[in-house]
Parts: sequence; structure tokens; C-alpha cells
Amino acid sequence: MNITEIIVVSLIKIVLVIVMILVAVIFLVYFERRISAWIQYRIGPNRVGWKGILQTTADVMKLLLKEDIVPSASNKTLHTLAPIIALFVAFSTYAVIPFGPDVTIFGYQVKLMVADVNIGVLYVLALTSLGVYGITFAGYSSGSKYSLLGGIRSSAQMISYEVSMGFSVAGVLLLSESLNPQKIVLAQSGWMWNAILQPIGFITFVVSAFAETNRLPFDLPEAEPELVGGYHTEYSSMKFAGFFLAEYANMIIASAMITTLYLGGWQIPYIDKLGLGVTLTTLLQVGAFFLKVIFLLFFFIWVRWSIPRFRYDQLMSLGWKVMFPLSIINIIWVACLIMIFNL
Amino acid sequence: MPKITVDGKEFEFKQGQTIIEAARENGISIPHFCWHPKLSVSGNCRVCLVEVEKMPKLVIACSTYAADGMVVHTQSEKTLTARNAVMEFLLINHPLDCPICDEAGECKLQDYAYKHGKGESRFEEIKMRKEKRVSLGPRIIFDAERCISCSRCIRFSDEIAKQKQLTFVNRGDRVTITTFEEEGFDNPYTLNTIDICPVGALTSKDFRFKSRVWEMSSTKSVCIGCARGCNTEIWVRNNQILRLTPRRNEAVNSYWMCDHGRLDTFKFVNAEDRVDGSFIRREGKLEKADWETALKEAAKRIKEFKNSEIAVIGSAFATLEDNYLLTKIAKSIGTANIDFVRHVIPGDQDDILIKEDKTPNSLGAELAGVKPGKNGLNISGILDGIKAGKIKALLVMDDDITTFAPDTEEILTKLDLLIVLAVNFNKTAVMADILFPAASFAEKHGTFVNFSGRVQRIRPAVATTGLDRALDGMTMSRWDKFGSQFDRWMQGHKYDSKPSWKILAQLGIQLGIKIKYQMAEEVFDDLAASADAFKGLDYDVIGDLGAEIKIKVKEPTLA
Amino acid sequence: MELKRREKDLTVWQKLYIPEIVKGLALTLRTMFKPKVTMEYPEIKFQPPSSYRGRPVLVQEENGVERCVACGLCSRVCPALAIEVQAAETELEKERYPKKFEINMIRCIFCGFCEEVCPEEAIVMSKDYELVFTNREDAIYGKDKLLVPVEKLKDRLEFLRKFK
Ligand code: SF4
Ligand code: SF4
Ligand code: SF4
Ligand code: SF4
Repeated sequence: MNITEIIVVSLIKIVLVIVMILVAVIFLVYFERRISAWIQYRIGPNRVGWKGILQTTADVMKLLLKEDIVPSASNKTLHTLAPIIALFVAFSTYAVIPFGPDVTIFGYQVKLMVADVNIGVLYVLALTSLGVYGITFAGYSSGSKYSLLGGIRSSAQMISYEVSMGFSVAGVLLLSESLNPQKIVLAQSGWMWNAILQPIGFITFVVSAFAETNRLPFDLPEAEPELVGGYHTEYSSMKFAGFFLAEYANMIIASAMITTLYLGGWQIPYIDKLGLGVTLTTLLQVGAFFLKVIFLLFFFIWVRWSIPRFRYDQLMSLGWKVMFPLSIINIIWVACLIMIFNL
Repeated sequence: MPKITVDGKEFEFKQGQTIIEAARENGISIPHFCWHPKLSVSGNCRVCLVEVEKMPKLVIACSTYAADGMVVHTQSEKTLTARNAVMEFLLINHPLDCPICDEAGECKLQDYAYKHGKGESRFEEIKMRKEKRVSLGPRIIFDAERCISCSRCIRFSDEIAKQKQLTFVNRGDRVTITTFEEEGFDNPYTLNTIDICPVGALTSKDFRFKSRVWEMSSTKSVCIGCARGCNTEIWVRNNQILRLTPRRNEAVNSYWMCDHGRLDTFKFVNAEDRVDGSFIRREGKLEKADWETALKEAAKRIKEFKNSEIAVIGSAFATLEDNYLLTKIAKSIGTANIDFVRHVIPGDQDDILIKEDKTPNSLGAELAGVKPGKNGLNISGILDGIKAGKIKALLVMDDDITTFAPDTEEILTKLDLLIVLAVNFNKTAVMADILFPAASFAEKHGTFVNFSGRVQRIRPAVATTGLDRALDGMTMSRWDKFGSQFDRWMQGHKYDSKPSWKILAQLGIQLGIKIKYQMAEEVFDDLAASADAFKGLDYDVIGDLGAEIKIKVKEPTLA
Repeated sequence: MELKRREKDLTVWQKLYIPEIVKGLALTLRTMFKPKVTMEYPEIKFQPPSSYRGRPVLVQEENGVERCVACGLCSRVCPALAIEVQAAETELEKERYPKKFEINMIRCIFCGFCEEVCPEEAIVMSKDYELVFTNREDAIYGKDKLLVPVEKLKDRLEFLRKFK
């Protein structure tokens, strides 16, 4: 492939991914509302469009038409920048997630990811850490105590849980001997899923992922009873929608990451033994990836409506006194595995 | 002095007092329906039964004379049982009318039934039915079912109004009140029976069903019907006067007031023809103008005349304060032509309350200085002067001077300038060149001096645009307290008017006099400092019941 | 000193947390498939029981006259000062009737005190909960809106007889 082709293909992939995320978020929000309703013996939105499917679209329209209020005590530049950062980080992370094996389209060898980066996992970790800036800026720039507290909580929470997250990922890296997501996926062929090989790491990673995405039970930065709306108290209209979008996009990344790192990515165990055609296999594999992600998204929502919010001190002690030691134990465990089975 | 013990409390009494009187003076109230401090004792309601030691049976406190060493129990078990029984008897034939009864809320029977009754009835038979809407004279409707036959109304007509017009007829549970054949209950004091009737048997045709008593605010005031100046309460709801009732003052009117005073002295306050805002005559028509313009115009026009061409006329309907300010204006203009119009109906008086002089403050007007000065003209002189073209400008305060003589109206047309302060569009007001809206007696603070020289206060009961019930310390009903601007009952009309003294003070400022009164009280204090009659008096000394002026008065000169 | 076990102390199993979370998740998962309680207003309307306190209304007798005698007790007892009554005389036997009877529905808190105090059973709480107005003036209900024929209020009147 020459350079133009690479650019064109990449551009197509970028556009595809962005559209995909936007559509996914719209449905995700809709399903979140429906599922939460079901869990509470309610029906949920069912008026706009077929079974209420257009509810989110209507909400977006509403948000678009709302006045954009910027508090007079705010730092205007940062106030505007914050949701952009949050969005940018959320979207760019997708670049390194592989949806399936390499395929050949029109004679081109195409990788089913935007960029095959050698250090993909690091890239994701780095970008999600950057994401905290969006929230912190929002809190800092709003000129409101609630926002500021939300922002501060958010940074403290991110830092605490990134530690255990990093250590959990270390276990995965030890096994797959690579930082390349595609390689990590390939290393989990058959039933050699990391979730099975290192359950403790899996659990710590999932918990940390919840904390990183600010989802319940760890949504302290926006805890309504204490902080009104948390870091986005002073946001309205499309800027608010930006944060909203970022939060849901982050959820999708988190699910994709968990799938990639622990659930075998696009792999379906022993599918090659069935002797299906290449195209069909690939399609099934891509499907498997999305299925796994969708299940995880459901899990996110499900947990949100089942487990109450932690207190701030509980959150911190859980992070440092439980998750952190557990993730270290996991590394030892993986090391032992490698030593004993010589993997 | 002899001593009596009531409920363990020993105190002295005057020989000849009954138990109920002695107890009352010492703060022990014994329930009573038919007994009234100003009426003879009839002793027929029996609710005042009390136990007296060493007496075999209970006695009625209203007709038993107190005796030295007597020991009375008003709360003993025997007394209470008896009281219960009396209440039960009274209620046997009493209709369940409270919801449609005007007395409810100030009904003695309700109060006692609540305090002393059992709270239930054993009477299962059908109650006695009687006529419910009997017109008893021109002003009263009688409900025979509600009457508990206390005879207060009969005794009142006989003893206070001195006209035997009512009587009981029939006996037992059929007893009822009636007037003598072909005669109505129409003496000038009939409406007092409504006040003293312990139940709602007698209701006023005028006030009937207008309002529940608890919905109104009441303000202490003075009647402006005649020179007696009976003490009254003004009852107001939704910024509208609904009724007047007498207020006890032994020095003036005791418990009573006359029907004329009660019915005819307040309706003009909320009448259609109130002057609402100031007016200036332009091209022959009175046109609304704001205060500032009207005042400036008035001052400017006054200055166009020579001192001797101007005359001012005060009013016996206006307060001391108003009249005092008027004398100040007259002085500053430099005219001695100042007087006021008397409203006397010769012979229309009795030795109960009613006086010939139909104004509340003629003595006050004189004492405040509203009388012709040296070489000044009196009222007829002024009118003659106008006729002769010598007087060209006239300032009239709070009165309709066309009543003075039949040709007054015509004479007034000769004037070059007529400035009027008026409450209503009366005959004088409609002729004005500049017309200021004066507050009525029910909308201002002030003082009147009655025929005997008693200074008495009036207080605002109706709010004008400048007054706020809460901020200006006016009395408030529950609705006034909790209403908001969005409630319909708060939308009672407020007239754009001011007390005459205030208007005159502002006019004075335009004329270049230094006047800085904020309150009627300051005007009075000033007057008290300058006139011997009011030496040492102020609003607090006058209080609710008034105070005598400090100089001897002969009956005012009734021209 | 002897330490006493408190009710709140958790067992090791509970302290592990994960099993408890799984239990919780199982519970919520089950409820997802249970029948829903939502009523889809306005297609399906809630039919209140006769103990329900909807907007207060005036009882209109068969002959078209209101029962109310304008005693003003409801107005006095109303904690929200929602009711304004103006009485006037009528030729009918009841002597008094409300010339004006207004309830300010913005003020009303549906406490039912007016119903309880009324000596004539003339004001009762209806089942009507659909109150819509777009300005303050419309929210003041006059006799035209308040009068409801007695047949339509049978339920409530019977309920009151039974329990009042
Ligand atoms: S007179 Fe008194 S007790 Fe009798 S109906 Fe009237 S308010 Fe009730
Ligand atoms: S009408 Fe009133 S005052 Fe007269 S007897 Fe009857 S209850 Fe007494
Ligand atoms: S229900 Fe309560 S608040 Fe409403 S009108 Fe009746 S008494 Fe007033
Ligand atoms: S309490 Fe009953 S009778 Fe009295 S005014 Fe209210 S509705 Fe009418």
C-alpha cells in the first residue's frame, strides 16, 4: 500500500469508528433508560418512535436548542475546553481496539482497527489518564464549589484506581508478552482467556474500569445528593451533552478493553476447527467481539441499578487497601503460572 | 365594708350589689344570658345559678344580693350540673342554625354550649317550629326559633330607648317576641338590640349575610353622626366597611349608639362617587391630574389673588389636625376670612344620645382656630363677599357648603377660583376648579372633640393608596395577614386620597411655608403646644376612651 | 474488656463482598422480567378509590341548587386560605346561599379539611385529579366549575357516611 492508500483507508476507518460510536451511544443511552426502568418495575421511555427508540435523539435535539449558560465566575476558556478534552480522549482511544482479525478487502490487507500500534495498551492507559483533565478542568473552571469538589474527587479517584488497573494489566502483558492489542488477543486463543487464567486480575481490572469511567457504584464526581451535578453542575446545552457523550463513549471503550484484554477479544474458541469459510469466520469473529462488548455494556448498566454508591472514604480504602494488594497478588499468581507451566 | 367569698377568693363589695356584679368586678365571670349590666334584672335564663353555702337550693347570681360573709361556689359540681341542665333545656328547641346565623362567632349561646354544655343532645322529638323571617320594624329581622326568651330586647326598648314597643306573646315553648299591633319596632336605637341579643334571633337587614364576623378586622373609631361622638368599632373586609358597632365608653355612650349613626355614616366611604385622585378644571371639565401638578397649580392660582380676596372654609367633619393645618394656611396667605359651616337640625335631639349638631367636631373646629380673625368675615360674610365680588378665591375643606343656604350654589359660580378638598363628589366638589381627594374619617388618624369637650381619636380602618395595612399598623383580619397580591380578597379598591392635613401641608410647602409633619400625631402635638384647651394631651393620653379638654366649655355657639 | 458482637458485624462470607454483589445482581435481574406497575396515562387512567382526595367540589342537588349555605366554615378552616365565600339571601328555605364561591386551586393543598368541617356535606373531595391551567386567573374555580351533580358524588358521600 502506498501512503495515499493508507491515508484513505485510515480516514474511512476513522469515520466509520466515529459514526459507530455515536450510534452506539444513542442506543446505549436508550437501553440504559429502558433497563433501569425494567429493574424498577417501570416501563421506561416508549413514546418517541417505535418503542421509544428515538428518545435519545429527541433529548439531543432538546439539548441543542437549550441556551448555553456560562457562569460569570467561570474561566471561559477552560470551561469550553473541558468537554472538548473529555470527548477527544474518549474518541481517540478507539484507534487501537481491534474488532476482528486482519481481512482482505478489494485485494487490500486491512486491519480491523484504526491503528495497529505496538504499544496500544499503554496508549489506552495514557489517554484515559488524560481524560481526567477534562473533568478536573470542568470542576476548576466552573467557579462553583460543587463542581470543584467533583473535579477533585475525580482526579483522586482516577489516580488511585489507575494504580491497580496498571498492575492488573501487567498480568496480561506478562502472559502475552506484548503491548500490542492484536497480539494480546491472539495470545488468548482457545480457552486461554485471561479472565480464566487470572480471575483476580480480571476482577480488579473490571472494578477499576468502573471507577475510571465514573460509573456507579463509583460515580462520586457527580454524586447528586452531595454535589448537585458534580463537575458538570454548571454545564448546559451541548457542552453538557459533550460530557454525557464522553461518559458513555468511555463505557464502550472500557467494555472493549475488557473484552480485548481478558475475554479473548474477537476470538471464538476453536472456531477454526469447524472448517467454515474465511469470510464467514471473520464475520462471526467480528460479531463475537461486538456481542462480548454488548454483554459488558449490559453488565455496566445492570450493576448501576443494583449496587448503591460508595462513600468517598470507602472508595479510597477499597482502592488502596483491597484493589492494589489484589492486583499485586495477581502478578505473583501470573508469575507462578508462567514458572510452573512454562507458558 | 362587707366581704364575700367567691370560689375561695375573698373580696369586699358595695352594699346593694348582686353576686354577679360583685364577682364581675373582681374578675370572676358567672355565665349569663338575660342579665345585662345596664338593664334591670329579669332572672329568667337561669344559667347564672350558683351554689351559696348554707342556702338549701342553688340561687341565681343576677338577682341575689351579696351579703356579708356569703360563700359562693361557681365551679362546684352542683353548679356545673345545674348549668349543664340549663344549657340542655335552652338547646332543646334551638335550631341547628349556626351555619346560616349571622351571630355565629360572637354568639353567647355557642360559647356557653361549648364551654358549659355536654356536647350532645338527648332530645329526640321534633323541635318546635316557628317563623324564621319576621320583619320587626324597618331595620331588623327576627328569627323566632333562635330566640331564647331572655327579654333583653324588651327591657332595652322599655328602659334605655324608653319606648315600649316589644313584648312576649304566648307561653311555654310557644313564647315569642312581637311588636304591638300596628306598631313597628322603629325607635332610633333598635339596632342595639342586635348587639345585646345573646343569640342570632335579631339580625340587621343592612348587614344580614354580608360577612362572617371572623373575616373582618375591627378598628376603634368614633361615630361622625352627631356631636355625641359615640365610640365605635369599624368592621372591614376586603378594604370595605361592612358595619359599625358601638364600643363601650361610660363617659360618652355606654354600650349604645343610634341607628342613624350605625347605618348612615359609613356608606359614603366606599360609595361610587368617591373622589379618586386629584382633578383640575380644564375648559370647563374636571380632568384628572397628578398630585404634583394639582398642588403646583393650586399654589400658583392662590398667589394670583390679594389676601383680602381669599377666604377659607374649614369643617366640623374634619379632624382637629385638618382644621389646625387649615388655620396655618389661612395665616400664611394672610386672610382672616375663615369659618366653617354648622350642620344643626334644631330640635332633633333627645336625652339619650342624639344631639342637634350633626357633626362630630364643631367644638374642635373652633378650638383649632377656625373662626373669623380680626376684621375677618364669617361664613355668611364670606358668601356675601363672593356675591359682591369682594371675595374671589375660596378654599373649602371636607364639607359640602351648599347646604348652608339655598342660594349658596349660585353664589359659588361667581368665584374665580374654588379649591375643594372632598371625600365624595358632592355639590361643592363638582364646582371646584381644583379638587383634591380627601381621606374619609375611616382612612386617617386624627381627633374629634365632642359636644362636652372630650377629645377622642379615630384610626384608619380602610387603606388608601398611601397606606399599607401591615406596615402602617392597621388592624388586620386573618385574610389581610395571609393574603397575597394574587388573591381576589386582597383586591379591594384603594382610593388615591390623603388626609386633608397632609394635602394642606403639601399645599403649604408649595406656598412657601415651612411644614414638616410626617404623622397626624405631630400635628396634634403642635396644636397641644399652642392651644390651652389641649395642654398636656397627646395620642397616648387620649387613648381608646378619650380625654377631657383642659378648659371649661359652654355648649358651642350654634349659629 | 469483653468485646460484644454487634448486629452490624459481617461474617467473613459477607465481607468478601463478591457473593453479596452477585446476590444483588441476581435480584435485579429477576425483577427485570416481572410485570410492570406503570400505568400508561393518558390512555389508561387511574380510577381512584372513594377515599381519594381529588379537587374539592360543591354538591349540586337534583333540583340544581347547591347544598352550600355559605356558612364560611370551609373558608375559615382551610389552612391554605384557598376558599372565598360570599353569602347572600335566598327565598329558599335554607335562607342563605353562596353568591360567590371560589376555590383557588393554586392554593389548595387537598387536605380535605373543608369537607370535614362542612356542616351540610356540601363540599366533598372528588376523584378529579386532572387540573390544568395556564394562568393564575384560570386557577380560581368559581361556582360554574365547582358544582357537580350529587349522583356523580355518590361514592364519596357514602364513604363519608361510613367513616366520618
Ligand atoms: S344563635 Fe348562636 S347558637 Fe343559635 S344558631 Fe345562631 S350562632 Fe348558633
Ligand atoms: S330576641 Fe334576643 S334579646 Fe330578645 S328575647 Fe329573644 S334572645 Fe333575648
Ligand atoms: S382541601 Fe384543604 S386546602 Fe383545599 S380547599 Fe379544602 S380545606 Fe382548603
Ligand atoms: S362549609 Fe359547607 S356549607 Fe359552609 S360555606 Fe363551606 S361548603 Fe358551604
